[in-house]
Amino acid sequence: MQNAKDTFYITLQSRLAALNPARTIVMRGVTRPGTLVDENELPTAFVPMDAFRLQWTKLQVDTASPLPWIAMECSIHYATDGSAGNGGMDRGRLLAAMDAELSAALAQHPRFVPKMNYASTSPVAMSTNVFWADPVFSPATMLDERIARTATVQVFAYQEAGEL
Amino acid sequence: VSTPSTPPIAHRVRAYFAPVNRAAGTPTLFDPAQLGRFPLHIPPAPWIDLGWISKFVRKSGTKVDALRTGAPAAASAQVRSEIEATVSLEFETWGKLQVALASGSQQTNLLTTAAGAAPNGSGGVAAAPVPLLTGTGPASTATTLNVGATAAAVFTVGSLVAVDVDYTGQLGYIGTGVTSAYVQSAQSAAAVANDINYVRRVTLNVGVIAAISGGVLQLAAPLPAGVPTADMQISQLVGFCDREGASFFQEWSALFVLEGVQGDRILYHYPRLQSMQGSAEAIDMVAPPLERIRLAGAFRALPVKDANDGETVLCFRSYLPAPLRDI
Repeated sequence: MQNAKDTFYITLQSRLAALNPARTIVMRGVTRPGTLVDENELPTAFVPMDAFRLQWTKLQVDTASPLPWIAMECSIHYATDGSAGNGGMDRGRLLAAMDAELSAALAQHPRFVPKMNYASTSPVAMSTNVFWADPVFSPATMLDERIARTATVQVFAYQEAGEL
Repeated sequence: VSTPSTPPIAHRVRAYFAPVNRAAGTPTLFDPAQLGRFPLHIPPAPWIDLGWISKFVRKSGTKVDALRTGAPAAASAQVRSEIEATVSLEFETWGKLQVALASGSQQTNLLTTAAGAAPNGSGGVAAAPVPLLTGTGPASTATTLNVGATAAAVFTVGSLVAVDVDYTGQLGYIGTGVTSAYVQSAQSAAAVANDINYVRRVTLNVGVIAAISGGVLQLAAPLPAGVPTADMQISQLVGFCDREGASFFQEWSALFVLEGVQGDRILYHYPRLQSMQGSAEAIDMVAPPLERIRLAGAFRALPVKDANDGETVLCFRSYLPAPLRDI
């Protein structure tokens, strides 16, 4: 199922980067697209703003199928303080922009991609596809100058023979 | 090395329309062996994309009876005593074709009326049509209509236009490209008052003006009937109207595609579908008091002969497996 998680992350990251190439973050001194998976990064209390943070939460496996069927829940957290130049008064607009980018990336067709194995330097296409449902957006939360939201997406895949 | 087959999973159903030649009784046939993998947003000609649909339900009304023999009687063979198939669905968009197909009957264009026209439920007497120019300027195409600078001034971007021939007493099926009405007899012709605009009033050959330049109307999408002929004229319209109780039955060739998430695909091809209910809508409560209104259609399949073996069939269901799957 790690391949499914990696595939969904890489797909979402590339789609979001294509929609808004200017959305980047600096992690460990490297500038990269503004999408990351929390569990793949160093543990830290630092929460990057204006970026999408993926967390894999629920997992369900159905073995009553020719191939085991996996349903995973991906929580996508994002937040903004607004821009300093506008005194943070544009934080609602910036959050709306992130809402739109995430919604467009997930709604883009096709809504399935070949599952890839990224364990080696040259990714290998596997035999089945990863696919996902519509996102569910939670209410925005506000803490001081910060406004944040979480979107939840159900991601599905089949566990192929020999895949761990 | 193949992978075990998995049941198809699809997000939505996409619908496509093609005309039936009503006069000849000839549907448009879709060949899944040649075209089954077409990109969903680029259907092969002459198929027209109707967009996503929901609540797609197929029903087989085919009756299978047992032939019983002996005492006590036991089934010794079976026979199909009746074949029938119906389809119901809801269109996600209110395009001209979707409204016409779901109307259950003939649909009329609400042509812009002449000054002082008496009120009428499907639109009053229409304004004079605008001719297409020939021999002056660029030739009209399926997406450009050359009317000349003077006539172009009466149109605006966003205007709806119907493009078709004049009514001159034709009997039988009328409407260019897609049959849209039937004039039964001379009495019927008299009933339409030999209205020169009658074909344009019922035609499905309509478009939206996206730009106007140099006396040429640029349409947002190609006309269903293709390049207009020199004897066609243009009438502006404001919308569409259908009538409960009208006599005409819409008939179309239908294709429904479910694209599976594993690269598999199911295609349902009904060469002949006729409306089997009056116009109806399905209401979704969005958030009180907002309601979303979808066009609800129900259709009965009519038979065709399969050229491969002469079988009488109502629907072709094709399944294209995902790559490298067990079959």
